[in-house]
Parts: sequence; C-alpha cells; structure tokens
Amino acid sequence: MSSVHKYTILQFDDVGFFYEKDKEFIHELSFTVSDREFIGLLGANGSGKSTILKLASGILNPSEGSIRLWGKPLQSFRHKDRAKLLSYLPQLLDMNVPFRVRELVAMGLYPYDIIPEMALSEALEMVGLEGKADLYIKNLSGGERRRAFIAVTLLQGAGLLLLDEPLANLDIKYQIEVIKLLRELREKKNISIIMALHDINMALQFEKVMLIKDGKVLGMGNPEIVLSRDLLKEAFDVDIEARSFQTAYEIRNTGS
Amino acid sequence: MKKLILSFLLLTSHFLFFTSVYAGEPPNRIVSLAPNITEILFAMGLGDRIAGVTNFCDYPNEARKKPKVGGIYNPSLEAVVLLEPDIVVMTMDGNTKEFEERLRSLKIKTYVFKAKRLHELPQGIRDLGTALGVKEKAEGLSREIEKGLNKFKVRSHKLNPPFNSPLSKGGYRGVKGGHGGIRVLFIVWPEPLIVAGSGTAIDDAISLLGCENIAKGTYTSYPKYSVEEIIRKSPDVIFIGEGHMNMKETSRALLKKISKVPAVKNGEVYYVSDSIYRLSPRVIKGIDEMARCLR
Amino acid sequence: MSKIKISMLILVLVLIVSASLFVLPKVINPFQMDTVERNILFSIRFPRVIVAFFMGMALGVSGAVLQGILRNPLADPYILGISSGASLLAVAGILSGIYFFGKFTIPLVAFIGASSVSVLVGFFGWKKGRLWPERLLLAGVGLSFLFHAVLMLLMSVSTDERLGRIMFWIYGDLSTADWSLIPVASVFIISGISISLSRAKALNALILGDELAHSLGFSVRKERLLLFVSISLMTAASVSLGGIIGFIGLLVPHVMRFLIGADNRFLVPASALGGGTLLCMADLIGKSILSPMEIPAGIVTAIIGSPYFLYLLGRRDVLSA
Repeated sequence: MSSVHKYTILQFDDVGFFYEKDKEFIHELSFTVSDREFIGLLGANGSGKSTILKLASGILNPSEGSIRLWGKPLQSFRHKDRAKLLSYLPQLLDMNVPFRVRELVAMGLYPYDIIPEMALSEALEMVGLEGKADLYIKNLSGGERRRAFIAVTLLQGAGLLLLDEPLANLDIKYQIEVIKLLRELREKKNISIIMALHDINMALQFEKVMLIKDGKVLGMGNPEIVLSRDLLKEAFDVDIEARSFQTAYEIRNTGS
Repeated sequence: MKKLILSFLLLTSHFLFFTSVYAGEPPNRIVSLAPNITEILFAMGLGDRIAGVTNFCDYPNEARKKPKVGGIYNPSLEAVVLLEPDIVVMTMDGNTKEFEERLRSLKIKTYVFKAKRLHELPQGIRDLGTALGVKEKAEGLSREIEKGLNKFKVRSHKLNPPFNSPLSKGGYRGVKGGHGGIRVLFIVWPEPLIVAGSGTAIDDAISLLGCENIAKGTYTSYPKYSVEEIIRKSPDVIFIGEGHMNMKETSRALLKKISKVPAVKNGEVYYVSDSIYRLSPRVIKGIDEMARCLR
Repeated sequence: MSKIKISMLILVLVLIVSASLFVLPKVINPFQMDTVERNILFSIRFPRVIVAFFMGMALGVSGAVLQGILRNPLADPYILGISSGASLLAVAGILSGIYFFGKFTIPLVAFIGASSVSVLVGFFGWKKGRLWPERLLLAGVGLSFLFHAVLMLLMSVSTDERLGRIMFWIYGDLSTADWSLIPVASVFIISGISISLSRAKALNALILGDELAHSLGFSVRKERLLLFVSISLMTAASVSLGGIIGFIGLLVPHVMRFLIGADNRFLVPASALGGGTLLCMADLIGKSILSPMEIPAGIVTAIIGSPYFLYLLGRRDVLSA
C-alpha cells in the first residue's frame, strides 16, 4: 500500500464553531485530509466528533476559520457538485422511511445526471443486501438497515466519505466486511475517509487518528503514539491501554 | 339640471318597465325555492303555473305533487334548469346569493322575496304580485293579511292600556305586573335549547299580541338560550313549536328543569303547529293559535 | 405491474367522468340533446367535473408532498391549519355580507385566508434560516385549533340564513361551480403540481432526513421552502374553488404508496390522478344519491374517508411512512 499522498482534499484552517453564543465548542482546529487517507476520529460522546464531520460536510458553517475542499472554500460549491465530491453518513438514521432497499440505495445517484459505472446491484452486493433489494427498509434488522445506508454512500461515489459511527449496530462480521470494503475502495478508487468512532481498538486500524475532547484536539497522528495511556485517560477519563490484537480482527497490514 | 332630470326619468321608467314585465300574462313556469313562497304562490292562484318546488314544500297538498328541485340550502342547479322556468322565486333566508347569481348567469330570471318580518309580509306579497303580473290577487291577499294582523292589534291594544289606566275588559287576560304585557317565551327546540329571539316573525307575533318576548335583545334570531335565564326571567306563558316530532316527549326533560317557572307551574305551556314558522298567509292562523291559548 | 394499476385507475376516472357528464343524476344523450340539456351539460356538468378534478389533484399532491416534508404520515393540508384559516376568512366574508367582487368575492377571500395562514405557519416554523418540520406541524395544529374555535364562535352568533350558506361552503360545495374560476385556479394548481414534480427527487431525499438530503446534494432550506410554497398555492386555489374537502390529502397518498411505492417521482402524479378521481367520485355520489337534494362532496369524502382511514390503520403494511 503506497503511502504517498498526492493531493490535499480537505483542509481545516483554524476552524472555530459555537453552538451557542459565547460558548465556543470547536476552537482553532486545523488538519488536512489527503487522497487515499483514512482518518479515525476518536473521542467520548459529545466530544465534538459529529460536529467536526458536519462542519466538514457543509451542514454546519464555521464561525471562524476556513474549510477548503480541493482548495476552494467549501461553501462556494454548488450543492450538487459538492455531493459528487463528498458524502456524509450521519450516526442517527431515520429508520422509518417508506422506501424499499432498492429505491433507497438508488438515491445515491441523485447528484448525477448520468449514471456512473458502479451499478445499483454492485453496491447492494458490496454490503451483502443483494437478496433483499425488494424488501422495505423498515422490515430489515438494525444492522441491515445501516448497511443499506452505507450502500447509498457507496453508490454516491464521492472521493471523501465522512462517516459518523457507521459500524454501530453491525455484527463483527459486517464490521470487518465494511472495513475491508473501504480499503478496497481506497485501492481502486482512491477514496479518503474520516470516520468517527469510539471503539479504541478499531481506531488502531487507522493510519491517522484524531483524539478529541471537548472540541479540542488532544493529539493527531499515528495511533500508536496518539492513543497513549495519558492521552486516553484525558480523553475518556479512564486508565486504559490500547492494544492491537493479533487475530483476524487486525487487518491493518494485511490489506485484504 | 336637465340632464339630471332626464337620467332620473330614464332610470325610473326602466324600473317601472322591469317591475311590470309581466303586466300582461303571469309567467307560465314558476319555480319556488322556499316553502313559504310556494304557499303564497298558491294563495295568489298561481298554483298550476308552478313548475317546481323544494322537497320541503308541503302546503297546500297540491304542492307535494309538484316536481322537486332539492332542499332550501342545497337545491340542484340542474333540476331547476331542466324545468325551463320562466322565473325562479327565492327568499333572503336560506337561498344563497351564489345560487341566484348562477341562475342569472344561465339566463334564468330570478326574483328575491324580501319580506322577513311580519309587518313586511303584506308589502312583500304586493311586490311579488306585481312582479308576477297578478297585482289584484296579491292586493286582495295582502289586504286580508293586514286585516288579520290589525284584528290582533286592536285586541291587544285593549289588553295593554298604559300603565296607570284601569284594566281592560274582554279580549285577553289581564295585565300582569302592570308593565308591558304577558311574559312569553317561544321555544323552537328544547335540547339544545333554541328560542325565538328578536327580529323573527314569531317575535313580531308576540308583540302584536301585546305580550313581551322574554328572549328579546339577543344578537341572533334563533339563539341557543340559557336555561337558567328562563328561570330568572320567569315567563308566564311558554309556546313550543310542534314541528314534525313528538315534541311532548322531547321537551319533557326541559320542562322538568324549569318546573318552578310560572308558565309551567300554572300549566300555561302550549304546543302550537308550525304555521307560525312560515311567513305566508298561514301565519295568521299561527298567530290565532297563540292568541287562543292566551285567552 | 404498476402500469396496469395506473391504467385501471385511469379507466375508473373515465367511467366516473362519463357518468357525471352523461348519466347522473339524469341521463343526457350527447348525440340527441335539446338546448336545455346542452346548456346543462356545458354550463353545469362540465365545469363541475373539471373543478372537482382540479381540486382533487391539488389535494392529493399537497398531501403527498406534505407527508414528505413533514416526514409524517398523518399530514394533510387540513392539519396544517391552511383549511381552517381559509374557512375562517371565508365565513367572516359570508357573514359580513361583503360582495365587492361579485361571485369572486368568497373565493378570493378564501384564497387570501389560505395563503395568509400558510405564511403564518411558515413564519412560526422558521428558525435559524430554515423551516423545521416539527415546528411547522406544531404551528399548524395550534393555529388550526385557534381558527376552528373562532370559526365556531362566528357560527354560533350568525343568523340562520348565513349559517346555511356557511355550512355548505365549509363542507365542500361544488354545486355552483362554473367556468369563471377555473382559469385562474387551474394555473395555480398546475404550477403547484409542476413545482412538486420537479422537486420530487429532493422530496425523496428530505424523507431520509435533513443531513442525508444535504449529503445527496440538495439545499434543504431551499427545497423545503419551495415545496411548502407549492402546497400553499395548490391548497389555497382548491379551497377557493369549492371550500374544504378533507381526507383526500390524507388518504390518497397512502393508497397510492401502497399501489406504486413511495418514490415521489411517481407518487406525486399518481396522487394527482387518484385525488382527482376520488373527488369526482365523491361529487358524483353527492349529487346523485338523494337527488334532487345535493350532499356536499366534502361530506361524502368524510363518510367514505374515515372508515377507510381506520381500516388502513389496521393494515400495517400500508402505513409505511
């Protein structure tokens, strides 16, 4: 796996954000995301992970600083154009939608006027739902539903995926499948990912990790360094150590 | 100035022309959109020229046999048009402006009968008679009605001498309490309690008979009244409209509630027919009914 | 499969329209009409059917769109208070006896009422630069209660004659339908339907949630506002044509969703077709069943609609949104 990154896709410069006046939540946040880069966003609940993803996707506007996508200010993009470049998968998904799996996943193609190569069935196969295409979303299990929504994101074919806890509710089998899938996409399509998660061991899979607490970055970089005992204590208020497991669970270096 | 007089003359002549458009023969096909109008038309001898009536036109008996065009509030436009009427007569009550406009847009002549109160009835009949070319008949009918109304007026005048004069003799019962006349209430429906207030023909009839309508001074003509107000106002006589139902049964509960009121205590509760409801020649009968009870 | 269902629906519509024009309440043979019958056919029956169809379309589409933008299967223009606001103003108009614009007075007043309430609801539902579904719904329900109360107050102090007129207007009276209102109203209704159809993809995305809709490339604020405006136009036009007709906006989208799915690109036109057909049928029943007395179409839809609605609640597979 080549670790040469050619482009900067996303850039946060001194970004600040507050939900309420005078109560700054995110403060002077700066980082970049390059092509084919996987970043894990780790932190306790309420630490700011979702906020950062929403800022990155344009759902929220920064109060200070700037966010650039492919060098241009994020807000300057037309919605449709932006949707071809980045896609966002929220943590809480409304499961009560009246669509069938097939109809839902097909919505990933909405930003496009012409249909790109990845067909609907391919996307369904990738998440293991090809046999359930005609079922109603509300008749699926929690995990199946989440996989359906992941398929929407896949079909959207954006170069940067912003995923908020996408592995929640998934059986370990599917957690691994999804990670594998994402890695494949990195190889084949050069995608980058920012994934918010709070499974520390899973975070070790990523080559770059951002540890967040109260909207501030405690550390950014190689997980083995960032996820040190001290920083983890600060982030999660518990005395633990992260260890990578030497089992099928560890797929960081196998690349398959 | 000359122009003014000229235009004035033109205007009035136009009016005259319009109102006596049937100076010759009365129209052959008349449609009536209200029961009281149907009665008046029959009374003016126009019975066989009536081409259509509402479902609720039940008097006289011949009216029931006429072709129907629907309800008072909801007649069928089609049914009216199919009858190819020469003129459609409607009231201010109930029939809608939209319906009248629609008829006119379909080139059908309409006439709106404007009388709503008792004292307006004779003139209303005269105007209707003029418009339909039966002036004499109408005149005769209105005179009869006026005579009938006057008869009551005279009697009640005797009943209602000024406050400090000696009591009357003959006619109706004596004045109670010295002020105004007998206190009367007319109940249209017992539950929910609906009574005849001011501005109704019934109210006019009550005044005509020299009595006092305890429900006067309300905003609407047929208000939903408060039961305790009846008790407070203690009427001497209560009339209840018989309608089509077994009113005695329906009103039992209400009468029980107000049993302490003079009218109920003294057995002065009378059920009268619905003649008084229709603003037509029959209304005299209705007033007469009420008058008899008061004797 | 859906094609068959739609064709059947069109067939039903054609049957109903033919019956309304040529059969009920009295048969008119189009090849052997006398002048009176021709008059009836063209001046009375034809405009009435067209009014019914347009109103039905407007209500069907409004219901589908509203259920989408509010993400609520119980939404219908009635619930958002648009209908009660229109009634209130129309009733006030009827009571006051104003008649400045002749026969256009009450429709105009109703239109103003409906539009004003939409603006009011939109105002209450607007926060931080966009419309929020929950706020819209609450504002609508709240205003609806208020208007209804004031309406009842007005009715309780109105005289009999006015009351009769009011009742018939409120219950959806199509009996005096004529050609004069159709041009203007149809422009509003067709515009509303076109806007809704063009934003159908956005509507689908909005159902998934604001964030996903944004991710899929839609300006949530703009789309919701646009769709809300289109609903307001259609509903206001419909109310001004023939008063309040309930249940169509609520039921038709449900039934259509069951028949052809929830994708709004198909649901919107199907709801238009279904709504138009349903209202034509209700009007047909209303003018024929107790002929020559006419039952307002709104009462017929309520009588058919409520039990059918309750039946739908029992079928879990239908209440899918």
